[in-house]
Amino acid sequence: QVVVPEEVFFTVAAAGILENLLVLIAVVRNRNLHLPMYFFICSLAISDMLGSLYKTLENIFIILCKMGYLTRRGDFEKKLDDAMDSMFILSLLGSIFSLLAIAADRYITIFYALRYHNIMTLRRALVILAIIWTFCAGSSIAIALFSYEAATVIPFTILFPLMMFFILCLYVHMFLLARSHAKKIASLPTSTVHQRTNMKGAITLTIFLGVFLCCWAPFVLHILLARFCPHNPYCACYMSIFHVNGTLIMCNAIIDPMIFAFRSPELRSTFKKMFCC
Amino acid sequence: MSALRLISNRTSQQALSNSDYTWEYEYYEYGPVSFEGLKAHKYSIVIGFWVGLAVFVVFMFFVLTLLTKTGAPHQDNAEPSEKRFRMNSFVADFGRPLESERVFSRQIAEESQSLFHFCINEVEHLDKAKQSQKGPALESNIHFQEVPRSSAMFEEDLNCLTKFNIPNFVNTEQNSSLGEDDLLISEPPIILESKSVMQSSHRILD
Repeated sequence: QVVVPEEVFFTVAAAGILENLLVLIAVVRNRNLHLPMYFFICSLAISDMLGSLYKTLENIFIILCKMGYLTRRGDFEKKLDDAMDSMFILSLLGSIFSLLAIAADRYITIFYALRYHNIMTLRRALVILAIIWTFCAGSSIAIALFSYEAATVIPFTILFPLMMFFILCLYVHMFLLARSHAKKIASLPTSTVHQRTNMKGAITLTIFLGVFLCCWAPFVLHILLARFCPHNPYCACYMSIFHVNGTLIMCNAIIDPMIFAFRSPELRSTFKKMFCC
Repeated sequence: MSALRLISNRTSQQALSNSDYTWEYEYYEYGPVSFEGLKAHKYSIVIGFWVGLAVFVVFMFFVLTLLTKTGAPHQDNAEPSEKRFRMNSFVADFGRPLESERVFSRQIAEESQSLFHFCINEVEHLDKAKQSQKGPALESNIHFQEVPRSSAMFEEDLNCLTKFNIPNFVNTEQNSSLGEDDLLISEPPIILESKSVMQSSHRILD
């Protein structure tokens, strides 16, 4: 068992929750940020917050069990356990779909730029978010209830790489357009840095997808191994680093606002106003 | 999946030998797993997984940077190639007729480009905006200043447009295709947009 110290755990969780809460407050308070793009970023912040909250509650639960206040096999504990598991799956699915929505929104921004305002109205964005969250809530409850069947684990783990691949395709297509644009604006004053522009685009894209992959894939693999080969010593060794996987998910909650929300100057200036005035 | 509650038995671990581990789950228990007689290293899955993930991410990065290295920029005059860019980009990338794009507002064309820059590369353009502020007050400077706040402004400008309730404009938008009809409504939007651009840029600069 590789154990992560509880202080580290709680610090990381608290940092994640606070950061995402700040993003939400900033978007709500600033009227300029009432745009579909920022609503999708808010949805990502909410799912990150749920993930961190789940880990915190689970840790508190384990501590209470160890101290003897709760029995491990009681009915109430099982129901609580189910509820918390469904919260976690909700967070994971919400993250995936929010990332997908952000990628699709950027795609439409770039490829249908002249019609963007009509395609992605505020109302449509809210409807899309409502559908996404209803679907995630429904499937998370279903998965938590039927988690004993192998049939629930397989679609869950297939969804993950499928979504990643789809998001990757969207971003690569945007990236290719960015490259062809950069070639054409070579004569503008920014011509000397257009190679750096594309390099920065490549770095940004790699960071987006690399962070999500590195933070969530270990946990998904853990679920697969726990379902299919729990007694195999190799699998058991992998499963011993479960706490590290959980901490990685919470690190994802901390990193996501930095690479999505804080890249917007408008949001940054809202933060400055919130803290300095 | 709901059985993934690992409660470490600190007291019982001292009793077990180093080669045995026990996990207790909420609903069912697994017996101790012995690590005797393994051919490969204990943590082979862990190491293999992380190495594979790192290789994949690096591979993705190299593919992307390789895409950036094809083709080099060639120097041209600023003005003609700006127009050429606008025409070329819209013909090549969006596949729309040339005339409607030329007649349609230049601001929107520059803003779609600025939205792209907003998504990919904001910080560099902020620096450029600061540098270009010192230059002559051309429209391109206003464009670069607008780049960091382009998405909000883009929405504001189009909000201003739709508020003005021009019947032709509304109908063509619902058809969702830029055809010959745009030539009819091209004049008013350009006037309106330049006004709204000046308003919003003044608002933002204050």
